[in-house]
Amino acid sequence: MGPLAAGRLPPGMNAPGAPSLELQALLDAAADAIIIIDHRGAIQLFNHSAERLFGYTAKESLNRNVNILMTERDREQHEAYMERYLRTGVAHVIGIGREVQARRKDGSVFPAFLSVGRIAGSDPPRFVGFVHDATLRQQAMGAIQRERDRANRYLEAAQTILVALDLNHRVTLVNRKGCEVLGFEESALLGVDWFQTVVPEGQRTRAVVEFDALVEVAPRRPHHSEYAVITRSGERRLIAWRCVVLEDALGVATGILCSGDDVTDSRHAETDAREARERMMHVSRLATMGEMASGISHELNQPLAAIANYAQAAARLLAAPTPELADVTDALQQISAQALRAGEIIRRLRNLVRNRETHRELAHINEVVEELGPLSRADARASDVRIVSELGVQLPRVSVDRIQIQQVLLNLLRNAIDALDATPAGQREIVIRTERNPVGDILVTVADTGPGVPDQLLPRLFMPFATTKSNGTGLGLAISRTIVEAHQGRLDYQPNRPRGATFTLMLPAEQG
Amino acid sequence: MKEPAATVFVIDDDDAVRNSLRLLLKSVGLPVQACPSAQEFLPTYDARQPGCLVLDIRMPGMSGLELQEQLNLRGATIPVVFITGHGDIPMAVEAMQHGAFDFLQKPFRDQDLIDRVQRALERDAVNRVQLKQTGLIRTRLESLTPREREVLDLMCAGKPNKVIAADLGVSQRTVEIHRARVMEKMEAHSLAQLVRMVLNAQPLRQAAP
Repeated sequence: MGPLAAGRLPPGMNAPGAPSLELQALLDAAADAIIIIDHRGAIQLFNHSAERLFGYTAKESLNRNVNILMTERDREQHEAYMERYLRTGVAHVIGIGREVQARRKDGSVFPAFLSVGRIAGSDPPRFVGFVHDATLRQQAMGAIQRERDRANRYLEAAQTILVALDLNHRVTLVNRKGCEVLGFEESALLGVDWFQTVVPEGQRTRAVVEFDALVEVAPRRPHHSEYAVITRSGERRLIAWRCVVLEDALGVATGILCSGDDVTDSRHAETDAREARERMMHVSRLATMGEMASGISHELNQPLAAIANYAQAAARLLAAPTPELADVTDALQQISAQALRAGEIIRRLRNLVRNRETHRELAHINEVVEELGPLSRADARASDVRIVSELGVQLPRVSVDRIQIQQVLLNLLRNAIDALDATPAGQREIVIRTERNPVGDILVTVADTGPGVPDQLLPRLFMPFATTKSNGTGLGLAISRTIVEAHQGRLDYQPNRPRGATFTLMLPAEQG
Repeated sequence: MKEPAATVFVIDDDDAVRNSLRLLLKSVGLPVQACPSAQEFLPTYDARQPGCLVLDIRMPGMSGLELQEQLNLRGATIPVVFITGHGDIPMAVEAMQHGAFDFLQKPFRDQDLIDRVQRALERDAVNRVQLKQTGLIRTRLESLTPREREVLDLMCAGKPNKVIAADLGVSQRTVEIHRARVMEKMEAHSLAQLVRMVLNAQPLRQAAP
């Protein structure tokens, strides 16, 4: 067998017909290395691409064993394949491509894709091999794999639930956190109907409607929603979801991807904190009411006393030989007016005393102040204090919880009344003023002419249990400030001139 | 001079309570004047005006107790019936210690108020008669000469004429003449009556400079 020039068909080759120009051109132009070996593995043909790929010239390679192109590891395997094929005729590689490690003349190794075929009718058999440099492909595959691994790690490490659904609501992806929260294996969730399987019946319809609308609209921004899931153990967890629509290359929706955070515990904590705060406010309100009890009972007693007097007067007037009917009518009208007055006091009292949830509404601050009138005046009267109202005009409305703001004001008025204890009767006066500051915020000031706040108490004034009163809870101002700050407002103290205390409640005016 | 009619003065800052009291007292035929505050009442009050006060114990500005104090300072004797609320008992006790006539807790039965007001009016009438008598005795006492006054004091101390004569360094006869003059000027018919008159007038005598 003579040497073969690169790209030339071997003269002794049983090629069909003479070496054709077309075949020669194919060999030369092929991008893959094309190598023909005989049954001993000796190289018979080595095309241009093979020369380029392996660094051997065709001449150098001729008749050398093909294993010079292989790594040590592949060599043995290759010999075993050849031996087995020649012995049994059973092909393991032929017709099937495989990944191999190829070796250049300079010893460097590169990934290659090899496909082998037996040249039909050759005996002893000859084989043709196509070798494709897989370096780039392998790099790309590696990059893809690394990227996928990383994505998977993200999915797995995420402390957030990730679920993807197809258009039929079937789960196509669920991460470890999702499995953990739900208590299912990934395999038990993939392919099942998400809404039927994990969403509680009461919320299912809403969740499905939301899903369908989301797919339909496919908004640019993520969609936020909240619904519960039922875990395998039957526990109900509240999840805050953030969903985006998945689309294929053509922009057609294929499903949605949702990330979900289990907010059950934080929601419980929020609810607990809110309830505790509301309980505290309630207790503080009751304490304030307790301090006002004497004044309030007096205030209720007034209309009752008047009613009794009017009724008795009316009876006597009617018993007269010529009754003064005008007086009787007046008495009866007064009786009904006084009954309403008593009812109104009880209604206000009940509003302040009952336990309730926070409720914001737009309100005129003057109304909020005036509604307190009967109660605060009763309290003031019991201590011989006069309350002077200076209510501003055309004040913008504020968004407030009426009862909470009234609680703050009652508390300030109570403090002011107590502060006036040592002031001579007749000079005990509190001014309550509503106005607007230059920025448009609403200010309510409660000013007294008592001794003012002692300097050493100032730093702790709004802290719980800072009190100068023997019968106070020490919570009033602390709770008042909490309430005001929850309204995005401020509660501040300044000394009054020439003496006394001024507390200013600032509430931001409603925008627009 | 004709006596003005006895009037019930109602002082209460609560419009409804004041007005209802006015109507109630009017319904039993009593003349009523109502006033919403102690400050308004005080300057208009004439101590010669007979009647009684129905006074709310708690009022802004000047309280019922302070008005009572002011009236006491002016020597006014008009009886005061205090109207109190629940829990005002300590104030009511203080008012009674300062000479209040009575007090009533709101709400009250009309008859209780009317009874107290009637009794207060009677007391005022008696006070005024007594006051008038005291004034009369005081005038008579002032008509005595210094010597006659000395004799009167010694008579009231229960000393016989002989001792009085010795004390004053005059004759028994002279004492007898002074004594007859004292009895005549004081319009007393007996020593016992004279002593009672002097005792009744005593506070006024002490109050005089």
